Amino acid sequence: MARALWAGSLSFGLVNVPVNVVAATRDLDLHFTQLHEKDGAPIEVQRWCSKENVEIPYDEITHGYELDDGGQVIVSDLELQAIEPRKTRTIDIEQFVDLPDVDPMYFDHPYFLVPAGEDDGSLRAYRLLSEVMSQTDRAALGRFVMRAKEYLAIVRQRDGALTLTTMLFADEIRDTKGIDDGHQKSHKPAPKQLDAAVAVIEELSTDWDPGKYKDRYRARLKRVVDRKRKGETIKAPEDAGPPEVPSDLMEALERTLEELQAGNGKRR
Amino acid sequence: MARSIWNGTITFGLAAVPIKVHSATEDKGVHFHQVHAKDGARVKQVRICSKEGKEVPYKQVAKGYEVRGGEYVMLDQEEIDAAAGEHSKVIVLDEFVQAEQIDPVFYDRGYYLGAGNDGQDAYRLLHDALERSERVGIGRWVFHNREYLVAVRPLDGVLALHTMRFGDELIDADSLDIPKPSRRPNRREIEMASKLVDSLHARFDPSSFRDAYRDRVLDLIKAKARGEEPDLPEAPEPQEDQDLMSALEASLGGRS
Repeated sequence: MARALWAGSLSFGLVNVPVNVVAATRDLDLHFTQLHEKDGAPIEVQRWCSKENVEIPYDEITHGYELDDGGQVIVSDLELQAIEPRKTRTIDIEQFVDLPDVDPMYFDHPYFLVPAGEDDGSLRAYRLLSEVMSQTDRAALGRFVMRAKEYLAIVRQRDGALTLTTMLFADEIRDTKGIDDGHQKSHKPAPKQLDAAVAVIEELSTDWDPGKYKDRYRARLKRVVDRKRKGETIKAPEDAGPPEVPSDLMEALERTLEELQAGNGKRR
Repeated sequence: MARSIWNGTITFGLAAVPIKVHSATEDKGVHFHQVHAKDGARVKQVRICSKEGKEVPYKQVAKGYEVRGGEYVMLDQEEIDAAAGEHSKVIVLDEFVQAEQIDPVFYDRGYYLGAGNDGQDAYRLLHDALERSERVGIGRWVFHNREYLVAVRPLDGVLALHTMRFGDELIDADSLDIPKPSRRPNRREIEMASKLVDSLHARFDPSSFRDAYRDRVLDLIKAKARGEEPDLPEAPEPQEDQDLMSALEASLGGRS
């Protein structure tokens, strides 16, 4: 069974479903340790007081908040604990929303919710919530507290399980004002041009198949490590430089369509 | 809008769209520095060579990948950067998929795209064509010496770009072995739960949610900056569990 990162209950109305929060992602990145280049020995990071220039033990460290005027407010662990949100064992569902209305930009980190305990009532309540939300394409919004921080979370059904995703708050998503989006009339594409662009997109369309995309960076980094281990010299590839493209958009689209259609024709 | 963090070109077919990348999100969490409680001085991180016991200047720090317990392959930053791959200034959208096929779980970080120099016509064309076809363009993006899978989609009149999670980074729901109840929820339970969901249904309004914790931390900081002692909030009473049907009924308050 996956390790619980949080245990508590999901509560909507007066229904409580005991659940555990478990990871929905796995970290496959290569992680590096800092080494001293000269002797290859691992580097140990110590915390030093910048005034006294001596190492300080962990329990002498506290939190400093820098004010705009350059001053500093010191806040202790105890003070932070005192304002920690109290209700730490419940995911309180406040409302249900239509899932398509929630732009993916709001989605932060995904987790799964799994039923805690085997009692039949809880399992059925879990299943009930999952089925009702998936039938109506709705998701639940609620708050919960994990690691002393309160999150806004969205709970929905995916592949038969309930998922919980922490969300960004509205003020953490920037306004699109000031983005040069060429909305002025003079940049509006001609109908013929738009038709051609849509035709190119349709020619290049395929089903979303996430399994086929590999993390080539991860694979290349592994190869770099392997080659280095064998004592090879590693050099960065040359930059490909800017792509060669026709300057005329319409001509570019037409040539693309010709090439794509000729290519498809050959395959058939 | 904040300045761009990357400039380059998006291509689809032979058409090229000069673009600028802007961050779409910002971390509004309250961040503290570590300070020494005794004198309020900033805590600095000092790198010590575990062999020599002496401080190591940043320039002499290399990266080590542990291949076996305690055995490292040592690389410098340049060698790690070599893994980024080529095409450093181009995002080739070589596939397009229906937006609705992509579960939001795949979207990782979000960015906005703006038109690059003299690129407004091409930008608008790509935007409008994606919008009309209800498609999302898929490509690769090299950013800060790392290659990402990205999706480009229309959003509120602009183009948005997302770095994407790879399939193998996501845990499969089947592997969770979620136990099934002895019987499926019956019709009455589904009806009541649907009513409950309906009664709590609202239009998604992101601005109605505030980060209350952030507000409390900032209030604490302000109070302390004025020399005040912070108030401590009270803990609420815990609720008791009830059985499913009576909880559903009670939640609906007789409306069933």
